[in-house]
Amino acid sequence: MSGLLRYIVQRILALAVTLFFVALIVFLLVRLLPGDPARVIAGVFASEEDVQRIRVQLNLDKPLPTQFVYFLASLLRGDLGISARTSEPVMREILSRLPATVKLAAASTFIAAAVGIPLGTIAATKAHSSLDFSISALVLFGISMPVYWLGIILIIIFAIHLRWFPAAGADQPSSLVLPSLTLAAFSVAFVARMTRSSMLEVLRQDYIRTAWAKGLSALVVLYRHALRNAMIPILTVIGLQFGELLGGAVLTESVFSWPGVGRLLVDSIFSRDYPVVQGIVLIFACLFALVNLLVDVLYGLIDPRIRYE
Amino acid sequence: MRRILILAVALVLGFAAAYGGSAAPAPTTFRIAIGIDPDTLDPAQTTTTTAANVLDYVVETLTTMDSEGKTQPLLAESWAVSPDGKSVTFTLRKNVRFHDGTPLTAQAVKWNLDRVLDPKVRVPIRAPYIPISRVEVVDPLTVRLVLKDPAAYLVAAMTWTTVGIVSPASVGKFGNTYENIVHPIGTGPYVFGSRVKGERIVLEKFPRYWGKKPFYDRVVVQIVPEATSRESLLLAGQVEMIILPPAADIPALQKNPNVKVLLAKGDRSIFIAINTQRPPFQKKEARQALNYAINKGAIIRSILFGAADPLDAPMPPVLFGYCKTGTYPYNPSKAKSLLAEAGISAGTEVELLTPTGRYLQDFQAAQAIAGYLREAGLRVNVRTMDWPSYIATITKPLPENQTQMHLLGWAPAYLDAHQQMLQFWSTQWPPAGLATTFYKNPRVDELIEAASKEVNPERRKDLYCQASKIIWDEAPWIFLWVQRFPIVYSAKVTNISSLPNEKFYAVYAEPVR
Repeated sequence: MSGLLRYIVQRILALAVTLFFVALIVFLLVRLLPGDPARVIAGVFASEEDVQRIRVQLNLDKPLPTQFVYFLASLLRGDLGISARTSEPVMREILSRLPATVKLAAASTFIAAAVGIPLGTIAATKAHSSLDFSISALVLFGISMPVYWLGIILIIIFAIHLRWFPAAGADQPSSLVLPSLTLAAFSVAFVARMTRSSMLEVLRQDYIRTAWAKGLSALVVLYRHALRNAMIPILTVIGLQFGELLGGAVLTESVFSWPGVGRLLVDSIFSRDYPVVQGIVLIFACLFALVNLLVDVLYGLIDPRIRYE
Repeated sequence: MRRILILAVALVLGFAAAYGGSAAPAPTTFRIAIGIDPDTLDPAQTTTTTAANVLDYVVETLTTMDSEGKTQPLLAESWAVSPDGKSVTFTLRKNVRFHDGTPLTAQAVKWNLDRVLDPKVRVPIRAPYIPISRVEVVDPLTVRLVLKDPAAYLVAAMTWTTVGIVSPASVGKFGNTYENIVHPIGTGPYVFGSRVKGERIVLEKFPRYWGKKPFYDRVVVQIVPEATSRESLLLAGQVEMIILPPAADIPALQKNPNVKVLLAKGDRSIFIAINTQRPPFQKKEARQALNYAINKGAIIRSILFGAADPLDAPMPPVLFGYCKTGTYPYNPSKAKSLLAEAGISAGTEVELLTPTGRYLQDFQAAQAIAGYLREAGLRVNVRTMDWPSYIATITKPLPENQTQMHLLGWAPAYLDAHQQMLQFWSTQWPPAGLATTFYKNPRVDELIEAASKEVNPERRKDLYCQASKIIWDEAPWIFLWVQRFPIVYSAKVTNISSLPNEKFYAVYAEPVR
C-alpha cells in the first residue's frame, strides 16, 4: 500500500510540472489569437480612452513576460484572477458552472459504460453473426452522428411531441436525460467498439478454452474470466472519454442550454476573456490528470499483477 | 352507499365553493428565453441590448422611449434645457422607492451619474455622457446636469440603461461594490430575485412599484444560446416568449396558430462599409455602382424572410434626425457603366469580409451580395472570421488597414442621429472610433459637429438631413437594410410589444382571456 501511496505522490508532483507548462502554453495561445480583448469588452460605442483604461485594468499594457509573472504569482496564491467580461473572480465563475458539467460528463460516462460494455461483449461473443453486424451498424451510427443533429432530433421527439422531458435547462432531475443521452452516443459507440475488439482478443486465449472445457456457465466465463482480462484497455478508453466529455460537452451544453463550463469557455474565447480561458484550461488539465491517475490506480485493483513501485 | 356518495359529492362541492375563491393561487410566471447570458447586471457596465433589456425590469432611467422611439418621462417627470444648451434640469417623480425601501432623491441620481463618469468604474458606453461636467442637486427632487458643451442628444441618451438609477444604499450589500454591482436594486416593476449564471435570472413583482403593476408575479429569463433550442422551448410550451428564432423558420412560425411572430421595427442599419481611402473604391462613382448592383428587395425576401426594410437614408427612420434621402434601385447595367466610368475593369478582384451569426443571416446575405457584385463584373471573395478577430481587422488604423469591403451592423443605443453619424465623422476613424470606411468630407464633418450642439430641434434635424444627402450621394456604404427584431410568443399571452432599439417590451404581458 505504501508503494501505491508513493506512486500517487509522485504522480501529483509530476502534475505540478505539467500544469506549469499548460499554464505557459495557454497563456501564450490566447494571446496569439487575433483581437484586442479591451476593444471587444468595451463594445463598439466605447471611446479610445475607455478602451485604453480597460487595457490598463487588465494589465494588457504590460510586456508579455511581466503579464506571465503576474499570472503565475496569483496562480500560486490559488487566485485565477478577475474575469475581464463580468468583473467577477474567475474561480467563482468556474465553480458556479463546474458541477453542471461534471454531472453531465459523469452521467454520460455511466451510460457509456453501462450500455457500451454489454453491447461490445455481445458483439464479441456472437462475432460475425447478424447480431454482431447490427450492433456494429448501431455503433457506426453513434460515432458518426453529429451531437448537434442528434440533440435536436431528441428534443423534437421527446420534448416537443411526447413532452416527456424538458427541452432545455437544468432545473429538474429529468433535465439530465436528453443531454446525457446525446453526449453519451459517441462514447457508447466508442466503448462498445473497444470492448468488442478487446474481448475478441481475450476469447482466443487458452485459459478461456480451459474455462469452457471445465464446463463453467457462459456468464462466469464471459464476465469473470474474459471481461476482467479485457478490461484494462476498456477502462483506459472510459477514462479518456470522461476527459473528452468534460471538454466536448460544449455543443451539447449549447443545444440543451446546460449551464456548464463548456459554454463559459466558448463565451470567454469569443470575448477574449483571457483570465477565464486560462482558468478553465488549467482546471480541465487538472481534472483530466486526476481521472487518468484514478484509472491507473484502478488497473491495480482489476489486475493484481500490476504493482506500483 | 349511494347516500354516502351524494354526501361526499356535496361536501366536496361545498368546500370548493367555500374555499375555491380564497385559496392562495400559485404564483403566475412569465418565462422568456434569450440567447446570451448577460455579461453584467451592473447598469453602468452594460454593453449588450439583451442584458440591458433584462435590467430594464429592475432598474429605471430618468427618461425612457416609447414604441415610436420618442423620449418620454420615467423617473423624471419633466426636464428643461437651458437656452444656451449648457445645462439640463430634471424634476424627479415624487414618492418613488427603491426595492430596498430607500426613497429616490436627487442625491441618489447624482450618485449614480457621478459613478458613470468615474474613471474607476468600467463604463463601456460612457461616451454619450462625457459632455456632463458636473451634476448638481438643486433640491431633493431636482437635479441639474451642467455640460462642458451643449449636447442636444443628452436627454435621449438618458433613456439608455447605462444611466439606470440604482439605490446608493445597496453598495456594500448583496455582494455589491462601488466598482461592480452584481445584485441591482432599482425602482422598476420587478425586483431582482436570483440568478444561476448561464441558466436563468428570476425576477419577482415589486408590490410597492410607483406605476402600473404588472400581471405576472414572476418573470423567469432563461439563457438558451441556440436559436433552434429557443424555438423548441416555445413550441414545447416551456416558455411564453423567445427572441431571435432561427431566421429560416420565421415563415413556418408565422403559419403556426399556437404562436405569434412580431417582426419588430428596429434601429440596426446593416451595410457594407467600403474603404474609401484604398483601391479600388476611392471614387464615388465606383461606390454608387456597388449600390446599384444589388437587388436588396430580393435578398430581404428570400434570405432574410422579410425581417428587414431597405435603407433609404444613411440612418433608420426611427432615429431623430432622419429624413428620406433616396434609393439606389437595382440596375445592373447602370452599375456596370458606373464601374467603367470609375476606371474599374471587369475581373477586378475584391474581398468582402463578413461576421457569421452576429446579425440576422449575415453570412448568407454576404454570399448573395457577392453574387450580385460578380454579375457586375467584379471577382469577389467572401471571407468570414470570429467577432474579436473581425473587429481587430476592421479597426486597424488606415496605414495598416487592408480591408476593401466589410459587412457591419450599427444600432444606436438611444434613438438620436448623433451615434449613427459617428460612422461618417472623420474624427471617428479607427482607432479612435468605428468609422471604418475612412470617409472624410469637410462639409459633413461641419454639419455633424454643428448638429451635436444645436439646441433647436428643427434646425438640428435640418443639419442632419443636409449631411444625409451628401453621404447618400457619396456612398461610403452599400446601403442595405434596417434589420427587424424577431420576437415569437405563445398565442396564449398578449400585450407584448417592442421598443425600436431591439428591446422587447413585455412587462405588462398577460394571459389572453
